[in-house]
Amino acid sequence: MAIKLEKVVETFYQNLEEGKIMAKKCTKCGAVEFPPVYACNSCGCWDMEWVEISGKAKMHSIVMPAALSSKPEYKALGKFAYGEIELEEGSRFNGVVRGINKKKRKEILENNKLPVSCHAVIWQRDGYKTVVFDLDEDQ
Amino acid sequence: MNQTKINKYARSVSIIGVGCTPFMYTVDREETNGLTEGEMFGYAALKAMEDAGVNPQDVDFYFHGEASPLNASNYLTPNIQIANWFGMKGKASIHHSEACCTGYYAIEQAVNAVASGKYNCVLSGCVEFGDSLAVPNHPYKREKVTMEKFLQTTAWLYDRAYTRSLMAGQELIYDDAAEWYKRTRGLTDQEMDDTLNWMCINNRKNASVNPLAIERTTYEELAKEKGFDNVMDYMRSPYNPKMGDFLRAGGLELKCDGAAAVIVCATDMVDKYMGNKSHKPVEVLGIGCAALEASNPHFEVRATEEAVRQVYELTGVKPEEIDLFYANDFIITSHLISAEIAGYLPYGEGWKYICEGRTAYDGDKPINTNGGRTSFGHAHAASGLADLYEAVKQMRGEAGDGQVKFDAKTAMLRGYGGAQNICTYIIRTID
Repeated sequence: MAIKLEKVVETFYQNLEEGKIMAKKCTKCGAVEFPPVYACNSCGCWDMEWVEISGKAKMHSIVMPAALSSKPEYKALGKFAYGEIELEEGSRFNGVVRGINKKKRKEILENNKLPVSCHAVIWQRDGYKTVVFDLDEDQ
Repeated sequence: MNQTKINKYARSVSIIGVGCTPFMYTVDREETNGLTEGEMFGYAALKAMEDAGVNPQDVDFYFHGEASPLNASNYLTPNIQIANWFGMKGKASIHHSEACCTGYYAIEQAVNAVASGKYNCVLSGCVEFGDSLAVPNHPYKREKVTMEKFLQTTAWLYDRAYTRSLMAGQELIYDDAAEWYKRTRGLTDQEMDDTLNWMCINNRKNASVNPLAIERTTYEELAKEKGFDNVMDYMRSPYNPKMGDFLRAGGLELKCDGAAAVIVCATDMVDKYMGNKSHKPVEVLGIGCAALEASNPHFEVRATEEAVRQVYELTGVKPEEIDLFYANDFIITSHLISAEIAGYLPYGEGWKYICEGRTAYDGDKPINTNGGRTSFGHAHAASGLADLYEAVKQMRGEAGDGQVKFDAKTAMLRGYGGAQNICTYIIRTID
């Protein structure tokens, strides 16, 4: 398993243009790195293979955007929140989940519904596509 | 996350001198407008040498920290630009930046340099102009930094490949820790808001008796000025607006200008270096370090847990032995969550200690006795060494009107910054 000088970032974004959300999976321990990187942060192995993620995820925490934590271009997201995302494949990272406002958060927290289910979508930013999540309709 | 086992130093290292400028808005006052990097760093360095009882020629090497030298000073190699200013011409040096954690890594690097045996006596200093930018092509003039420019440069703290694109990591710095604390400890919205406000009040009380602090007007005085009988009514009012999901304006750093420095030497050579100085040296027992890039969930919490684990495991010190606690709280929530993670405040109870005023300088569990980032000020790189300056002064009984009310022998300092580095260390007075 030779270490390769590989354009992982460009490949990730090119796949988004083609409608695919890709990650890297460790061939030794099976851990999935999202977003994709060279080596496994669970076992240290650098033999990683490209995999497409299912998009199924859970949101474990909810922080609402505010004056300090928003930007004019985020208005296009509609109502959304930040939080800890866990992919079905196991990766955890900070992400954006659409479909949550203060009222929805209150309902989720008061009914102890965390973690809530969500799913990945490809979203157009200025000049490139990225990944955000939508709250599942039954949540 | 990955963990690191750290080992004992090859030899003991102690702090023998500290120096610090006032934290200030230099361009706002005639007597400070035009101060340069060499003057600020040089003042702090020479004050630390004077305090230690050493001559610049006694010092073998210096570390230089500045969070954003290219942006603020138009310097690429800022350690060299100031090298003629404090009597060490020709001595080697190195520059480092870990953004707001720079002043904490400043002690890590200095201690390692002496503990390894390569050098016997080292200077570590930091300088920052957080409130002003060098005017290009002018030898000393500076101009105020605009909020637009500040936000533009702080965006550079975050990973360009993924984190900026995914949008969440850089925005969660303001409120993630408060969300985590409130959810895991079961606080109501009101309790969390009051806790954040009380941290501001306590920090300001500490700063009010510190002549080096940038903001010394207490919140009680501000409330009275605006016609409030109760300080908490003021803190909940539009005079202290919500800027984040949880965070109010008072819980944000006061970015400013400043410099601080420390002299460390091999503990078994203290007598040689300190000469006739009578103060007690302060030994660095151990330093734990971790880092989590901002796309990782609860980056501050998880990296602090790891750094604290390292330093307790290495030193064998128990949380109940810590007399003083300092946390880089440019987002004020930091000082609550890190004090609890360190066991300085009991799990789930820390917020009550804060709301009861027990963490102010005259309480039984003092935190950030200098006023912290929201009242002492935040000269980004220099803040960590300013905290160390304060801790050492407290441990010597030299903190003036802000002196804690008991004999403090052991302190923990937790640095945080740079999206995000954590550096936590324990120091103890040598009797």
